Amino acid sequence: MSSPQLRAELKKLIVTELNLKHRDPESIEDDAPLFGGGLGLDSLDALQLAMSIEERFGVRIPEGDEARQIFRSVRTIADHVARVQVLPKVGQQG
Amino acid sequence: MRPRLWLTGLGLVTPLGVGVEATWARLVHGERAIRQITLFDTAGQRVRTAAEVEGVEVPRGGWSRTSIMAATAAEEALRTARLDVRRMRVGLVVGGTTGGMFETEQLLARLHADPQCREVLVEMLAHPLTSTGDRLEERLGPFARIRTLSSACSSGANALVVATAWLLAGEVDAVVAGGTDGLCRLTVSGFNALGAIDPEPCRPFDRRRRGTSLGEGAGFLVLERADAARSRGATPVAELAGWAVGSEAHHITNPAPDGVLVASLIHRAIKCAGLSPRDIDYVNAHGTGTPVNDPMEAAALARGLSAEVARVPVSSSKGQIGHTLGAAGAIEAAITALVVSRRTLVPTAGLDEPDPAMGLVHVPHVGREVPRVRAAISNAFGFGGMDTVLVFADPDLRREAPALAPVQPVVTATAVFGPCGLLGTEACASLLERREPGAPVEPEGHLDPGRARRLDRAAQLGAVVVERVLDDVGGRELATGLVLGSAFGNVDGSAAYMHRIFERGPRSASPAEFPNLVPSSPVGHISIYAGLRGPALATADLGISGESAFAQAVQFVTAGEATRMVAGAVEPRSDIVERVLSALFSSQVSSIATRCDLAAAVVVESETEARRRGARIMVRVRQTLEVRGDTPSLVGLVEPLGGRAEVVLAHSGCAVGPLLDASAWASCERRVCGPAVGESDALGAVAIAVAAARIGAGQTDEALVLGLAKKRCHATVLVRG
Repeated sequence: MSSPQLRAELKKLIVTELNLKHRDPESIEDDAPLFGGGLGLDSLDALQLAMSIEERFGVRIPEGDEARQIFRSVRTIADHVARVQVLPKVGQQG
Repeated sequence: MRPRLWLTGLGLVTPLGVGVEATWARLVHGERAIRQITLFDTAGQRVRTAAEVEGVEVPRGGWSRTSIMAATAAEEALRTARLDVRRMRVGLVVGGTTGGMFETEQLLARLHADPQCREVLVEMLAHPLTSTGDRLEERLGPFARIRTLSSACSSGANALVVATAWLLAGEVDAVVAGGTDGLCRLTVSGFNALGAIDPEPCRPFDRRRRGTSLGEGAGFLVLERADAARSRGATPVAELAGWAVGSEAHHITNPAPDGVLVASLIHRAIKCAGLSPRDIDYVNAHGTGTPVNDPMEAAALARGLSAEVARVPVSSSKGQIGHTLGAAGAIEAAITALVVSRRTLVPTAGLDEPDPAMGLVHVPHVGREVPRVRAAISNAFGFGGMDTVLVFADPDLRREAPALAPVQPVVTATAVFGPCGLLGTEACASLLERREPGAPVEPEGHLDPGRARRLDRAAQLGAVVVERVLDDVGGRELATGLVLGSAFGNVDGSAAYMHRIFERGPRSASPAEFPNLVPSSPVGHISIYAGLRGPALATADLGISGESAFAQAVQFVTAGEATRMVAGAVEPRSDIVERVLSALFSSQVSSIATRCDLAAAVVVESETEARRRGARIMVRVRQTLEVRGDTPSLVGLVEPLGGRAEVVLAHSGCAVGPLLDASAWASCERRVCGPAVGESDALGAVAIAVAAARIGAGQTDEALVLGLAKKRCHATVLVRG
């Protein structure tokens, strides 16, 4: 499970990386859908977000259907980051 | 009847071989050139394969890989056309996206280590997009006129469309037009960041396809009017019979899935050729092999060709030569013309399991001879949804191309945005009398933050002036095109992007930043922001890029390619350009004027359309004269008509004086924009806006705008409407 701090950090990352200057990070709800409706993000945003999450947290987002599940909401991303971060290094490489 | 346009010469440099015959032989056999990249270190790249051109020797003296490939292809095209550039007025059009980025990256790596290295700085701007045209002028010229353009991956196809406009207007006797792009770290890391490269050699239309493969090369084609070609004894390879250009106004990297714009372009291009889908016997698809392109293109073909799609074979050359980016539209146009000429279809390599969702007739693995190819289509699509469709036809095919109606281009709105503030049509007339201190340039305040979030500084500045002229002129529902000039493109953005890669490796390449590095990116972003669906492209011509954009818009309106175009220049202040200029000139001048953020735009449209709408006509465009040469002369420039006439200049450079003094405009009052507006390479577009606005406001009757840069000169004559 992810911490509120991690989710808050992710919201800030989303706003700055995707240039959502008109959005207050705190106004993004933990479980709100990020793509399509919701924040209105698209596949290019998903790529940018995946790259910045890897940079910031050292966590790779897998590609394809798995990514779609992870990118559902701030909470699902945060849970993925938290889960991978506690894994030992060897697990990450596998 | 519209004059027919013959293709009389071809030149190819592709990963399959140098020369048309070397490429063709391997192409028909389905050979593939996609393998490990050897040009540069690919450590850390997701996918490390591409299609490289082998055996390119880059001459010393300012050549880039991109330019030498172009020179080789253009030389072959001129030679096979048996064209003598000294005896005819021959135009040159060069499309591309990266210029000498491969060479510039090596400089950026050194600059990364030592940001003030003078030795590197003086070389930094040696390979802009325009450098290819300049090198070709030296080696193969003189050319009557040169255009450098970018519309991302449709650049090469749009070079041919520009050629048609020049030829139909009778402004040149022949044109050698094409595209060129060398592989570089920037594009390989960028397409990797977008997840757009297939780990296997790309498999267009295959159900297992996972992306494209990048390639490099150059393709040039000689086009001329059939009557003129016949009278000099030339024979046609094929005819360029039809073409259509438009913008999706949808998304900077993803095509609109329904393919509606592309379908309408296919329909228009076939109609432009005086043909019907029943006459089309082959399609050379854009066919990148990405999950999104191929179904969009299949949908567009189904819509554009109607029931004929069940008959017409379609193939993509990208499984063999990769996606050659700015060259693709020209290389593949040449391939399509050869398919018509040689009655031999070329295949889609790697197509083992055709995706049944496509519903297309394929040519898998190897080419085959067919009884006849009456006409064939070549598709080219670019980032930002800048799409072009070309139709090549057998010269013996009976067809009736629609007649050309004469068009008078007029200017109906102007805008300037910079330290002078945002000035609309009325205010531009008094711009040169303003003496307020410079205001901070804040485009964000003029734009919708949600829709503008992907716009970089250049696109923001441009969007502000484009929105302003569209507000002033009204009629937003019209399909409007856009041409913007920039001297060097996004230099700072490319440097920052590469520095990240040098620092942290290719995986840190930003997928959102990458599309903003293409020279046509501001045009793409603005067409999306403002909903512009006409022809969209960027021009580059050093310090007179704004003038070249204006001339291009006028040429498109005159040729009926668009009823309305927005034309201008966008130049954000660039830290690197300033550092380069001070490194270049620090020994000669005491200080370099700080350059400013500046954008200017005007609306060019057909007089008929403007009158139909009841729009106010500010000026008629009387002449756009483009001159090249070591010492450009104004021979051919029209004389003032006799009313009040003035000359509007971007800068007060010393070379302008003698040139003007020797012209019929010598005694006219001269107004200079630089002192009132600030230093910028966009000043030429400002000068055009000011001249149009001053005439529109009744302050003068006629104006000459004269722009001068290294070995090139543009003269624009505007007269009261």
